[in-house]
Amino acid sequence: MSQTPKIERAGEWNSKDILFSIAAVPETETLFVGSSDFRVYEFDLSVEKPERVEFTGTGHQSYVTGMALLGKTLVTGSYDGQLIWWNTEDRTELRRQRAHDRWIRRVISSPDQQRIISVADDMQCRVWNSESGELLKAFSDHPEITPHNYPSMLYAVAISEDGQHIATGDRTGHVAIWDAETFEKIGETEAPGMYTWDPKQRRHSIGGIRSLAFSPDGTQLAVGGIGKIGNIDHLGGQSRLEIFRWESDDEPVLIEDESKKGLIEQIVWRPDGKTLFGVGGDHKGFVNLYDVEKGEILTQEGGSGHIHAVSVDSSFTTLFTAGHNQIERWRLVDEEPAAS
Amino acid sequence: MGAAGAAADMTAVDALTSPLLAGELKRQQKSVILLWLAGGASQLETWDPKPGAATGGPYRAIQTNVPGIQISELLPKMSQRLQQNTAIIRSLNTKIADHGGGYTLMDTGRLPEPGVDFPHLGGIIAHELSQPDSKVPDHIEMYTSTEGRRKGSAGFLPSRFNPMFLTDSMIPENISRLESISDIDHQQRADLRNMLAKNFQKNVHSSSVASHNSAFERVRGLMSSDYLFDVEKEPQSARDHYGPTQFGQQCLAARRLVGAGVPFVKVARAWWDSHGQNFETHRELCADLDHVMSALLHDLQQRGMLENTLVITLGEFGRTPSINGSLGRDHFANAWSCSLSGCGIRGGVAYGKTDEEGRTVADGEVNAGNLFATIFTALGIDPEKEYMLGSRPVPVADFHCSPIAEVLA
Repeated sequence: MSQTPKIERAGEWNSKDILFSIAAVPETETLFVGSSDFRVYEFDLSVEKPERVEFTGTGHQSYVTGMALLGKTLVTGSYDGQLIWWNTEDRTELRRQRAHDRWIRRVISSPDQQRIISVADDMQCRVWNSESGELLKAFSDHPEITPHNYPSMLYAVAISEDGQHIATGDRTGHVAIWDAETFEKIGETEAPGMYTWDPKQRRHSIGGIRSLAFSPDGTQLAVGGIGKIGNIDHLGGQSRLEIFRWESDDEPVLIEDESKKGLIEQIVWRPDGKTLFGVGGDHKGFVNLYDVEKGEILTQEGGSGHIHAVSVDSSFTTLFTAGHNQIERWRLVDEEPAAS
Repeated sequence: MGAAGAAADMTAVDALTSPLLAGELKRQQKSVILLWLAGGASQLETWDPKPGAATGGPYRAIQTNVPGIQISELLPKMSQRLQQNTAIIRSLNTKIADHGGGYTLMDTGRLPEPGVDFPHLGGIIAHELSQPDSKVPDHIEMYTSTEGRRKGSAGFLPSRFNPMFLTDSMIPENISRLESISDIDHQQRADLRNMLAKNFQKNVHSSSVASHNSAFERVRGLMSSDYLFDVEKEPQSARDHYGPTQFGQQCLAARRLVGAGVPFVKVARAWWDSHGQNFETHRELCADLDHVMSALLHDLQQRGMLENTLVITLGEFGRTPSINGSLGRDHFANAWSCSLSGCGIRGGVAYGKTDEEGRTVADGEVNAGNLFATIFTALGIDPEKEYMLGSRPVPVADFHCSPIAEVLA
């Protein structure tokens, strides 16, 4: 990087609902978002007063919490346990699949877009043929019950850029790494600091691994969530990022942040493999740019509402975020665009 | 020993296996188990779901075994017990939405007044339902978590009806005889104290002195009641039935205690104060509540105890329909829910109604006084019965508060 970078909020569009998932059409200002009103919408931010356009059909029956864009096909996942394939050109439903017995937390696609991967609170990771919707494999290394005998949750999934490895992360801080061809477990690691069980004052937990991302070369795995919280009635704890060299026993790089608190909901590595974005928040939002080698936050900016998801453009300098009552656009300025 | 005497002793736990004795106990012994959801559980994620509303959250409503009544999908086991055991009240408007004020209101059934130490629910129930010769505690409260921990009180009623308050351990501390004193020495000391106390009481007619003496007279019974708190005395199958959580094991202890004649047991499950991540918190805590509450009702029913045991599920308030920026719900007392099961209750009823988004009571508004009047009526206690505080009459349920007839059997 040539200069000290800075994140600027470059746009804000209010919404009465809560937006949990987002996908941007490459090289355009068109976005798709999943909402707390159970619907999926298209936004065109290139016009002066963007209006959202609803996808048609029966749709979901609960919060739309996951989304993956495959060319002109959008696949969404919801707390209703269903995956829905949509044609983005006419915004109609193509196919639906009863995918999980419990709430779907995240939906991603493989780099070659041949597969859809979903995780849910049935503690299953499921891999689907993105063309046919056929279930290819279901697997899990995550107990349904926490060590304190409460329901666990499987929040996070990631796939490496070469498509060879999948990682899954749960509420208690357990991460499993899988061979994406054989679906055999090939590694695991633990991030117990993400599990915020309070055994004395309030006797419940609030945290968990909420985000995972492989570095571009696949050797490192970034794990996001929240750290120790004094009062787990609120998200008033340090945001917590741990970066593992998952094939070694090295101690992870730990980056905690007190200045802008809350959960790290999504992580995006930049192509240099040295920096990454983390977004999330408590009742307010944040966009952080981390220097992985230095183990620190390079720059950050706060938003007015909690951020649930992010989509990054091909230059890795413009970010669109979906959150509480709003869509926001962010720009990374004062540096050379990263090579893709 | 009569049935009432047997009920007031730890041996009643085993005596309940005798059908004849159990029948006599059912006629004479009523009791309350209060499941206190400290911090305030969300009515939308429990008894009054609003699926599809902007305030409804992500969870579905599920059909109960009562046609036309749905509850949150987070309570699947309770959905199948509603018909037999449970009435839901969906129209509480208690207005006070701070923890301390809400607790005082919902644990006394009335607003505080300066200079009047109103008894809490447990104190009143203990006073009204305890047996005079009972050797077991009359009022027990378990509150293990530290957040929001508040202790009930007998208020202006005799101190005998104050709670035995269990916090760190499920088994009461300091009720064992010192090893340095033999059992004979202990009994003889008690006899000597009783003789001196009776002589003193001939000349001093004071309720305080009487209460003091009453407490000492019950010492040996209380000392031997530690057996009741020990859930390891139960078969493993019974412990498994309630599940491994602390709340489950405490509710098993509560069943043992009411079975032995304890009229009031409160099991506080803290902490439901979900300002952040309301849906995750309720997914976690409702699983425990659903399992333990249904296990408790099932167990009481199987033992023939449910028709004489009232199980109340209540907190200091509910939670806002609006969802805040941390996916939380905040304090809310204007339109919320509780449930009553068992003794004196008509199962399969959902009383009252809130509006489409759950922001106001649309039908059947009731307050804390109405709830208390309902509880007392269900137990056969006249809600208009008056205590005399000096020359001032104080009814057990607040003035002008009638019971909710629709939920009474």
